[in-house]
Amino acid sequence: MALRIVHRNSLKCVCNVARAQSTMSAFEIQHKTPLIKKQHPIPVAMYGGRNAVTMLPGGGIGPELMDYVREVFKYAGAPVDFEVIDIDPHSEESTAFDYAITSIKRNGVAIKGNIETKSESAGVLSRNVALRNELDLFVNILHCKSFPGIPARQKDIDILIIRQNTEGEYAMLEHESVNGVVESMKVVTESNSNRVARYAFEFAKRTGRKKITTIHKANIMKLSDGLFLETSRKIAKEYPEIEHNDMIIDNCCMQLVSKPHQFDVMIMTNLYGSIVSNVLCGLIGGAGILSGRNYGDHYALFEPGTRNTGTAIAGKNIANPLAMLNASVDMLNHLGHKQHASLIMNAMMKTIAEDRLLTPDLGGSASSTDVVQKVIDHILQADIRPW
Amino acid sequence: MSVLTRNIPRICVQASQTVAARSIHSSTNTNRAAALAERPDTRVTATLIPGDGVGPELVYSVQEVFKAAGVPVDWESYFFSEVNPTLSAPLDDVAHSISKNRVALKGILATPDYSHTGELQTLNMKLRNALDLYANVVHVKSLPGIKCRHSNIDCVIIREQTEGEYSALEHESVRGVVECLKIVTAKKSQRIAKFAFDYAIKNNRKKVTAVHKANIMKLGDGLFLRSCEEMAKLYPNIEFEKMIVDNCTMQMVSNPQQFDVMVTPNLYGNIVDNIASGLVGGAGVVSGSSYSAECVVFEPGARHTFSEAVGKNVANPTAMLLCSSKLLRHVNLNSYSEMIRNAVEKVLKDGKIKTKDIGGQNSTQEFTYAVISNLDLPKA
Amino acid sequence: MSSFFKGKALRDVLNTFLKIFGNNPETNSSQSIKIVASKPLGTRLYSGEAKKCTLIPGDGIGPEISAAVQKIFAAANVPIEWESVDVTPVRGPDGKFGIPQAAIDSVNRNKIGLKGPLMTPVGKGHRSLNLALRKEFNLYANVRPCRSLEGYKTLYDDVDVVTIRENTEGEYSGIEHEIVDGVVQSIKLITEEASMRVAEFAFQYAIENKRKKVTAVHKANIMRMSDGLFLRCCREMAKKYPDVKFEEKYLDTVCLNMVQDPSLYDVLVMPNLYGDILSDMCAGLVGGLGLTPSGNIGLNGALFESVHGTAPDIAGQDKANPTALLLSAVMMLRHMQLNSYADVIERSCFETIKEAKYLTGDLGGKAKCSEFTNEICDKISRTS
Repeated sequence: MALRIVHRNSLKCVCNVARAQSTMSAFEIQHKTPLIKKQHPIPVAMYGGRNAVTMLPGGGIGPELMDYVREVFKYAGAPVDFEVIDIDPHSEESTAFDYAITSIKRNGVAIKGNIETKSESAGVLSRNVALRNELDLFVNILHCKSFPGIPARQKDIDILIIRQNTEGEYAMLEHESVNGVVESMKVVTESNSNRVARYAFEFAKRTGRKKITTIHKANIMKLSDGLFLETSRKIAKEYPEIEHNDMIIDNCCMQLVSKPHQFDVMIMTNLYGSIVSNVLCGLIGGAGILSGRNYGDHYALFEPGTRNTGTAIAGKNIANPLAMLNASVDMLNHLGHKQHASLIMNAMMKTIAEDRLLTPDLGGSASSTDVVQKVIDHILQADIRPW
Repeated sequence: MSVLTRNIPRICVQASQTVAARSIHSSTNTNRAAALAERPDTRVTATLIPGDGVGPELVYSVQEVFKAAGVPVDWESYFFSEVNPTLSAPLDDVAHSISKNRVALKGILATPDYSHTGELQTLNMKLRNALDLYANVVHVKSLPGIKCRHSNIDCVIIREQTEGEYSALEHESVRGVVECLKIVTAKKSQRIAKFAFDYAIKNNRKKVTAVHKANIMKLGDGLFLRSCEEMAKLYPNIEFEKMIVDNCTMQMVSNPQQFDVMVTPNLYGNIVDNIASGLVGGAGVVSGSSYSAECVVFEPGARHTFSEAVGKNVANPTAMLLCSSKLLRHVNLNSYSEMIRNAVEKVLKDGKIKTKDIGGQNSTQEFTYAVISNLDLPKA
Repeated sequence: MSSFFKGKALRDVLNTFLKIFGNNPETNSSQSIKIVASKPLGTRLYSGEAKKCTLIPGDGIGPEISAAVQKIFAAANVPIEWESVDVTPVRGPDGKFGIPQAAIDSVNRNKIGLKGPLMTPVGKGHRSLNLALRKEFNLYANVRPCRSLEGYKTLYDDVDVVTIRENTEGEYSGIEHEIVDGVVQSIKLITEEASMRVAEFAFQYAIENKRKKVTAVHKANIMRMSDGLFLRCCREMAKKYPDVKFEEKYLDTVCLNMVQDPSLYDVLVMPNLYGDILSDMCAGLVGGLGLTPSGNIGLNGALFESVHGTAPDIAGQDKANPTALLLSAVMMLRHMQLNSYADVIERSCFETIKEAKYLTGDLGGKAKCSEFTNEICDKISRTS
């Protein structure tokens, strides 16, 4: 019991510090808080129109997918230079991982596969989670949009999932207080909830979305999810033109599979995001299509939408290259290379919709390389070729 | 060798150059390259500034070679000159063209000792400032077939070129006493330091040497050096070294092979550039480029107009041709880039056709034709 | 004393020879003749007494190489009396550490000095001793002749340039301040007075040392006012010395050409920073600072020194190479118009290096400093 109180107190402290930070202006942070290190932004790695991007192939099918991306980029002439960093999933030490974080901080942008954490010991954090926390990538965006030409249960889905990415159930605060009793901490902070909600509404406003749904479980977790819900309601008041409602997670899952078209933009905490995004991916065609974007204040990280390593199909030339290619398109868009992005995107669309070249996970029989090759052919035949 | 020693951050490659580890399309690669070459609608527009001195002759040589190779590049040519202000295109037009095209090929602009209008900024500086071309990269590499005292030189000199001594802030406080301000800012120093390290990462290099004179100019060069040191911490796999500029020049002439990537403030960069260029064969064979975040200007590495040779048909077009090859690589026309580079290297290696500056008797034109006849054109 | 007279006799012979030579209408070398005639040789040798000369042995290998020089000078019977002084910093009346007054007085009295390498104590509060000496004696010009030595093979064998560097202002004015956080402004100061002074010295040096050409090194295309002023001063001075060829070159051009073909240049005159960089580069061309002499010319006297480090790792082991200090001493002799001694010593030194029998470790030999010194002494005694 004592332990729990201590934890709660420390939690409160964390909240207070975070709150204090967010209400201060940059000037005040510089001059009134000597303990906070002054932020010197690292210059962006963009030289002569070419960007440097960190590439973390990760485990499983990651490396082969990255090869496809590089191959496609080569023919599309995408002005991106990759800094490839391999992280050994078995290694307990974090040299390469730390280097990867440094590299992302320098380059500002990264594309990654799923990094496996093989270590079983409790002290080693999941590297995917650690990466997001370290870089403060507080929001994850998954754009679930049906691809024409991919067989799926539901048609014409266009839902944007915006997920809190650094806290909630993934706070990784777990302990066994007495033998046989494990406590796992779920952390929700006002500042982070605020940031996500703000991001969602701004995003909706800018992209012309009409409705935002907050997904929660505030009927049970009254304090934590309650805070998240409250915050998003508060922010919603500032955006009267955008409709806002909320939905409980279990109901949401049911609605998703039966009437998914009622949703537009959804915001949620970490774990629910994981669930909802996987449900939606399943609805529109499996794990191999969608890409996810992770944003923080300073850095952006792009990855396949469902975070699976796909170790089972690694090296068999049947992995679906679309997810990673989609991630790379997102990355190009983020870097401002819109022409290259649409070039690759159109080539992919043509491959799927016109050529019906699908990998086994989508019910087709094409190999990964067949698909990539077709995409490249489409790129070569495109009317425009930006360099 | 370096790949082996630096195992973990495997390779950093230009996406455009990557040979995928599992080469998935090896059979069709050649066809594709041909397809790339054939497409008529892939033309690239680039700005062209012939410059002063022998610039126009060299640019003509490049154009001849491009024509022969069928390179799909259209030039937007501007006469831009400080010594000939009445004919010069306005700075705004040139800057706008470059920022639109994002690439340019530029000869050398002559900078007179005095300005007709009493201005302290040279046209070169104005152009650099207008486009924020802050990083000058000169890759000094011993070329085959050029006889020099030193061999196996391969270093890259990265120079900050928007501040420092070239601030153009000068005044005569009392008669006979002139003060010239040298400005060093943390922001620009960090930016150039990061550029250097990113360059090293991208090109798989191992060491960055910061050249400074912080023992005397403790604040100014000290700030530059500190910025480099700070940035070095973010690159644990790149060796970082500091060297005082006078020692650096001495090392350069006695043991230039020790250098890899060098990062320097403005003036020192100019000095080191020229020394290094001299070591591998002079201003006629070293190519360089200036980077901003958005655009790149390719220009010879050592900036000499060589005006005494104007019209004599003796200038060496190697530097300009190498610049153009780099330009093609930058705009993703790799096959052409390779083609021209190989042709130039072949001519130099054969050693039959040599211009005067590298100990031959041949003219610019003969050299150009030699390059053209050595172009390995794709078979139709 | 006998050899001293011999030296004088030799000079007389030389003078006569030149006169005859000069009267020969078929020679084109009237230029050099005029130079010689304009400044009669040996004017300062009116008194037969030995001149006093301050010696600052220095730190590290300083004492050994100073001893070597003294020994060689003794062997050549140079009419110089050494006055050895210690410049270990002492606390002055103002509480700051500085050069002892005795040393200052000595140089001021003798107007000439020879200095070994000095170690600048690390840490705050100590000004560089070299800088202090420079300030104290108003040493406005730094001269460094760089000549390829036969016997020590470098990639360049045709180097014979003299760099003359303005030493009191320019980039090293020491005026710097941080205007706002992260923006530093350093001032490069160029004055007409100092530029004129160094330009005049350069031409004077060219004449005294029978040099043909003076090149002003500048960057006036970029720094139009400051380097422009320097350049104007050089131009003006050049008008007063029509016998010496004058040219102006951009710094970058000089750098480029120097490493390609050093024979293009003769005497180079330039502002502080360029001089600093170029003089070290030229030293690099001929084999490093261990072989290049250096002289500082000032209003209150001249100080000749070796510019290499103190090499504490080999100090006291009789391994050091005294060539740089010896050649500096030779420069000093020339400055004192004791040319005949200078020639003898220089020739012996060059021959010793050329024969390559007694080379110190830095030149790829195995000889000790003392062996090298003895060999030079032998050679001197054989010639005289």
